[in-house]
Amino acid sequence: MDKKHVYDMVIVGGGPGGYTAALYAARAGLDTLVLEKLSAGGQMAQTHQIDNYPGFEDGVDGFSLAEKMQKQAERFGAKSEYAEVSRLDLNADPKVLETSEGIFYGKTVVFAAGATPRELGVAKEPELVGRGVAYCAACDGMFYKGKTVVVVGGGNSAAADALLLSRIAKKVILVHRRDTLRATKIYHQPLMSRENIEFRWNSTMTELLHDDKLTGVRLKNVLTGEESTIECDGVFISVGRKPATDLVKGQLELDRSGYVVADETTKTTIPGVYAVGDVRTKLLRQVVTATADGAVAIHMAEEYLAGGA
Amino acid sequence: MAAINMDRVQFEKSLKEAKPVLVDFWAPWCGYCRRIGPAYDKIAEEYADILIAGKVDIDENPQLAKAEEIEVIPTLVLYRNGKAIDSIVAPDSKAMIDRFIKAALEK
Repeated sequence: MDKKHVYDMVIVGGGPGGYTAALYAARAGLDTLVLEKLSAGGQMAQTHQIDNYPGFEDGVDGFSLAEKMQKQAERFGAKSEYAEVSRLDLNADPKVLETSEGIFYGKTVVFAAGATPRELGVAKEPELVGRGVAYCAACDGMFYKGKTVVVVGGGNSAAADALLLSRIAKKVILVHRRDTLRATKIYHQPLMSRENIEFRWNSTMTELLHDDKLTGVRLKNVLTGEESTIECDGVFISVGRKPATDLVKGQLELDRSGYVVADETTKTTIPGVYAVGDVRTKLLRQVVTATADGAVAIHMAEEYLAGGA
Repeated sequence: MAAINMDRVQFEKSLKEAKPVLVDFWAPWCGYCRRIGPAYDKIAEEYADILIAGKVDIDENPQLAKAEEIEVIPTLVLYRNGKAIDSIVAPDSKAMIDRFIKAALEK
């Protein structure tokens, strides 16, 4: 780049929040760039079927929805780069974004980097990824056709993973450290009525047993202390997410779990910087709340660029 | 130019070329494989001068996938002089694929 181009807005992350921000920004006439390290959609792109995003009566797969959001934003002039951001200077004027595809500059920044699956932290967990340990049933489930798998977790994603796997695997064993699921009610009945799903309540996974590949897991009952072994071919870990906020640590205020502190206005502690989607402190992390953030952020950014708040 | 879809015959033929060959083993049902698709096409374009970028659908070519010992997808394998020199499973960014190619070519 011979001349320093300063975008009106640079968006970090091409998930539903990022591309909705891009759509609103481009339609507001802002010179807009989206930086996405892999492809549009973020976590949504790994969701096999989304049934709670309005307007798709038969559901929609996350990857296709992401592509549509990207194309829609690009129709109005938003640009995209497959760039991994390595460093941000959000206090500079203009704001600086160093990436694998070069340095970019923006008058404003929407930080929509999303979140990733949380690891359980059991010994050998990283080494066994792809050899029995998995984090995405929609991605890797088919490898366990007719086999026995364990799902660890009790939230919505664990419940959805267990249901999906029950249609593929011979047997699914759901391991949860409490005695009831945290997942919303709509999952309970389908889970309980599946004949090939077993539950191990009040239990944690303490060890991964393996030779070349995973061969089983050790469980510990948290009430009795009793330990047991389950033979299985795979374990799907669904114990929540961690926000991708390492890049903004020390610049933006983060809460105890690492999420960017921002209210419904998406405004962060730095003027001209907005936190959108799953990275923001919020009650409900869904596609529909991420897209809503994207629209609000542009409203706030327009005020900022006009010399207001 | 986008990545070339290869069957067994095309795969074997490409390995005889002078250029190194990068192959993305994938399947249509694999969500993460689809995510890599757009960035992989960009890679194919950017590296067109120095390597051949192909894709092998493991559902259509199960024997090939077995012969190449592909147990997880997406797996990207870089071949040179007909031999696999390195592989990477489920890279999480285009930048990671870039780094993989650079490091593998230096081997």
